Amino acid sequence: MTQLGDTITAIATARGAAGLAVVRMSGPEALAIADRVFRGTARIGDAPTHTLHHGWAADDALDAPIDAPIDAPMDAPIDAQRIDEVVVAVFRAPRSYTKEDVVEFSCHGGALSAERLLAAMIASGARLAAPGEFTLRAFLNGRIDLAQAEAVADVIAAETNAAHALAVSQLAGALSREIGALGERVADALAEVEARVDFAEDVGGVEVPAHVRAAIADVAAALAAWLAASPYARAIRDGARVPLVGRPNAGKSSLFNALLGEPRAIVTPAPGTTRDRVSEAIELAGMRVTLSDTAGLRETDDAIEAIGVARTHAAIASAAATLWVVDASQPLAPEDHAIAAVLGARPLLVALNKSDRPRRVAPGDVERLLDGGPRAIVAVSALAGDGIDALAAALAALLGAGPHASEDGASSGPATGAIAMAVSNPRHVAALDRARAALLGAASAADGGAPGEIVALELRASLAALGEVTGRSVDADLLDRIFSRFCVGK
Amino acid sequence: MTDAFDVVVVGAGHAGCEAAVACARLGLDTALVTVTLADSAKMSCNPAIGGIAKGHMVREIDALGGVMGLITDRAGIQFKMLNRGRGQAVWSPRAQCDKAGYAAAMSALLDGVAGLTRLAGVVNHVRLERGAVAAIELDDGRRVACRAAVITPGTFLNGLIHIGAAQIAGGRIGEHAARALSECLAELGLERGRLKTGTPPRLHRDSIAWDRATPQPGDDPPRPFSHWTERLDVDQVPCHLTHTNERTHAVIRRNLDRSPLYSGAIRGAGPRYCPSLEDKVVKFPERAAHHVFLEPEGRDVPEIYVNGVSSSMPAEVQLEFVRTIPALEQAEMLRPGYAVEYDFVLPHQLAATLEVRGVPGLFLAGQICGTSGYEEAAAQGLIAGINAAHRVLGRAPFVLRRDQAYLGVLVDDLVTREHREPYRMFTSAAEHRLLLRADNADERLAEIGHALGLVTQEQIERVRAKCAALDAEERRLTRITVAVAADSAAPAPGTPAADGTATAPARRVRALDLLARAGGSWDGLREAGVDCDLPREWADCLEIRVRYRGYIERERETAARAAALEAATLAPALWDSDLKGVSREAREKLVRWRPASVGQASRIAGVSPADIAVLLVHARRAAPDGAARARAGAEAAVVGPSAARAAARSGVTGRA
Repeated sequence: MTQLGDTITAIATARGAAGLAVVRMSGPEALAIADRVFRGTARIGDAPTHTLHHGWAADDALDAPIDAPIDAPMDAPIDAQRIDEVVVAVFRAPRSYTKEDVVEFSCHGGALSAERLLAAMIASGARLAAPGEFTLRAFLNGRIDLAQAEAVADVIAAETNAAHALAVSQLAGALSREIGALGERVADALAEVEARVDFAEDVGGVEVPAHVRAAIADVAAALAAWLAASPYARAIRDGARVPLVGRPNAGKSSLFNALLGEPRAIVTPAPGTTRDRVSEAIELAGMRVTLSDTAGLRETDDAIEAIGVARTHAAIASAAATLWVVDASQPLAPEDHAIAAVLGARPLLVALNKSDRPRRVAPGDVERLLDGGPRAIVAVSALAGDGIDALAAALAALLGAGPHASEDGASSGPATGAIAMAVSNPRHVAALDRARAALLGAASAADGGAPGEIVALELRASLAALGEVTGRSVDADLLDRIFSRFCVGK
Repeated sequence: MTDAFDVVVVGAGHAGCEAAVACARLGLDTALVTVTLADSAKMSCNPAIGGIAKGHMVREIDALGGVMGLITDRAGIQFKMLNRGRGQAVWSPRAQCDKAGYAAAMSALLDGVAGLTRLAGVVNHVRLERGAVAAIELDDGRRVACRAAVITPGTFLNGLIHIGAAQIAGGRIGEHAARALSECLAELGLERGRLKTGTPPRLHRDSIAWDRATPQPGDDPPRPFSHWTERLDVDQVPCHLTHTNERTHAVIRRNLDRSPLYSGAIRGAGPRYCPSLEDKVVKFPERAAHHVFLEPEGRDVPEIYVNGVSSSMPAEVQLEFVRTIPALEQAEMLRPGYAVEYDFVLPHQLAATLEVRGVPGLFLAGQICGTSGYEEAAAQGLIAGINAAHRVLGRAPFVLRRDQAYLGVLVDDLVTREHREPYRMFTSAAEHRLLLRADNADERLAEIGHALGLVTQEQIERVRAKCAALDAEERRLTRITVAVAADSAAPAPGTPAADGTATAPARRVRALDLLARAGGSWDGLREAGVDCDLPREWADCLEIRVRYRGYIERERETAARAAALEAATLAPALWDSDLKGVSREAREKLVRWRPASVGQASRIAGVSPADIAVLLVHARRAAPDGAARARAGAEAAVVGPSAARAAARSGVTGRA
């Protein structure tokens, strides 16, 4: 629903390959939300208007020390929360495009950084802007004059039509049916609860009967499964980045070439030969996977090589998964221990390379270095071409193209295939996440003995969120449901 | 008697009485015209006021200075708080009333209102001059000049009664039908529709085997409807419960072809929430029994209202099925049930003031707007009456928001939605249900009623005292701490348990938190040594306020966001422009409904958020100050600056 006066956000630059992406935010909470995402020396909330600030964006910057070193951010420890290096521009009301407080995050180009940044803004309280909404605010707040405004309606209509075309193409398919079916179940649950609130004399008993609770739990689990699959869905649409890491001369470049099927990176026997990332995309289980060969991770005094090492850190942090190439023909070295520490619990595929030679490293040896988290270990020979197919299959599975389980381990809901693919629009992901959270709220309210109107409040919030995906309103047919199901009234 | 008034109210039912009293109390010379003076405020159907959501509305009418709650307290013979087993937000009062006593109490009240004249007559026409209401005309040729008219004809508007195959013109059995008035409204260009409602048979009290039905007593002590009633001193009369059975249903099925509902004789849409027994049996064949409530129509009258078996079957069929019901085997039927069809004006033609768009001074209220129910009628009567008075006085329109009152929900639903059956209020219609409780109607609305001039100084002082007492008690419970067992929700005295083992180490919590937690209660506090001096009703208010604080805050936040959209007004001229960029479906709907605010527009089915965005652009172009108005927030939506402040103090922005 259209609202005025809240804080909106969107990616302001065109999708696709570009050096830079900008995520823009406008509204009364823009500065405060920026501070929840930004990690730098200055607080955005204290920053004067028309200033630039350099630092990091993180999923929850509040947890991070505010004085974390940012002068040499490439050397800072990698963590899962970190999104990207950013420059933040602050425009305070009324001296901004919308005449509201506006904050613009400039991050590295490509979809993933900007989208993670966008997701972090939304998680911190911003709302995803509707098509044309920044322009609309600029206009409503008098920032654009009447002559310029002639075009505003057209802009909104055009952007809406484009979004609509996209939505229709998605909604025509499985997404519409499946979300619609879930919405039906939530609406039925709501009708069950509402009937017991409004017609207590006719429909007695507990307000949230067991079958309604079961339905709520079912739908929440199905949404959780879809959301778990949604990184894969995004990978289908925007691609996934997978950096190759490993100690120098472990065979990263050879494996890179083997996966690509043609020589691309410079391969020499001298350690440290690969000075910069070389990226190439392959098609894997329908996903566009961008493999990037990286410099090693060893500490070095060579200034040029040091930059490469730092970039490797950054690449790991923003990657969907990492491919760690281990030279299995030699015992694990201290450097391998260091790499394992960097990789932590991130999604990881381990290639035990040089399987054509006598094996000195077993999968268990590698396992012991790692924290847990999703991973697969495959023996390959980059030179002989052995195990490459198995490696590719393992990578696809790691990226989500395989059987999925929801967060709580239940396998309810269609977690793979068309549905998961369709849940790739960030707007849909955000809405489904809110729908799921509200269902959990409803379940816990019911478990805590809260009255029906409280449970109904959560169910309505959930339906409203699902309605943002399907375009159906919440209460249009509530009474129809009640009257068709219960003989009520006197 | 003069032949010129400021306001004429046509029809003295539940809508008309509220409208007339409000106009007169606002200082206007007011006439209330009805066919038979003694039939004023007649309860045509069931002998009860209130019920779930309806009781909320009566409390709101009362808090705004209306009269339905006071009359109910005077005429009530059984009082019951419904939904006590549910959450407090949906507790709703209902009272069985002595029908004759209700009409008599209302007549006495009407006679005592200064500036109110009661006229007997049948109104046939509304006359306009220069496009605005100038007079009404009676069927005997009398002309009564007025500056505003509130039309509340109920089921009399071209009413047609069905009993079996028999059709009788009339709004109630044995009474007339207002045909000319309906034609007059059509001549004014209003689009009309047809609705249907029904009523069950009445039985003779002495013919019922009472010992075979289950008595249903009222609450002890009874809680008054009105905020201004100090105490109820009433000898309560029980209702009784019995059930239909398969034999009853067999009679219905055998005679279905004799029901005008199923023969096709009735065209009007009936209310699904008030189904006839025919409907219940046909639509829910698996149900072996349906509730039947036996409700006395008064303390000293023989009529028993048989709630649950509304029917339009021929009288002999009604008697046959009635006598299959336990306790009614020997029943004598005083009057058969019947269905009545009547005209209504499609309410998309009304503004939220209940004034007909394009006809200044013409207000409609009650069933003519497509609603059903005494309470819905009274609510609209009050709103229409206040706005008719404001029209004459040149004051700003009086519109309540959806987050302020069920009355706001009612009017907004009427003027923004499509209606296929008589509209009845449900708590599920209110998206801000936790804010709109029966217990806090006075906190929400009395200051607004006072600012309007309908709530007296003495009354408002009482509301303010209540608010202050609740606040003080809340602060006191914040300061007091009590010991609770560390592993338990229950308060623990900290002494060894009976079996000799010590309880878990006690820790102290605020008394308020103890009350707020699930399972907390005033009794629990008392056991922990904290007494509460508040009257029971006030204590209930405070309890719900603290227990659901988080949810209430959430609703208040969504309400505040919605209020900004209500305050963003749309000029009528907008609907005559090209509305470029708005989708065709939305454009058709918008031009038909002509919403007065962005909020209203967004609730019309078929209007998408993108349409609203484009609409805002057009609105801004049409009215350069539109943006300022859009930002002005909630204040512009209520009657004026003082009332806005009052609303801020008392309403959703102030307290739970």
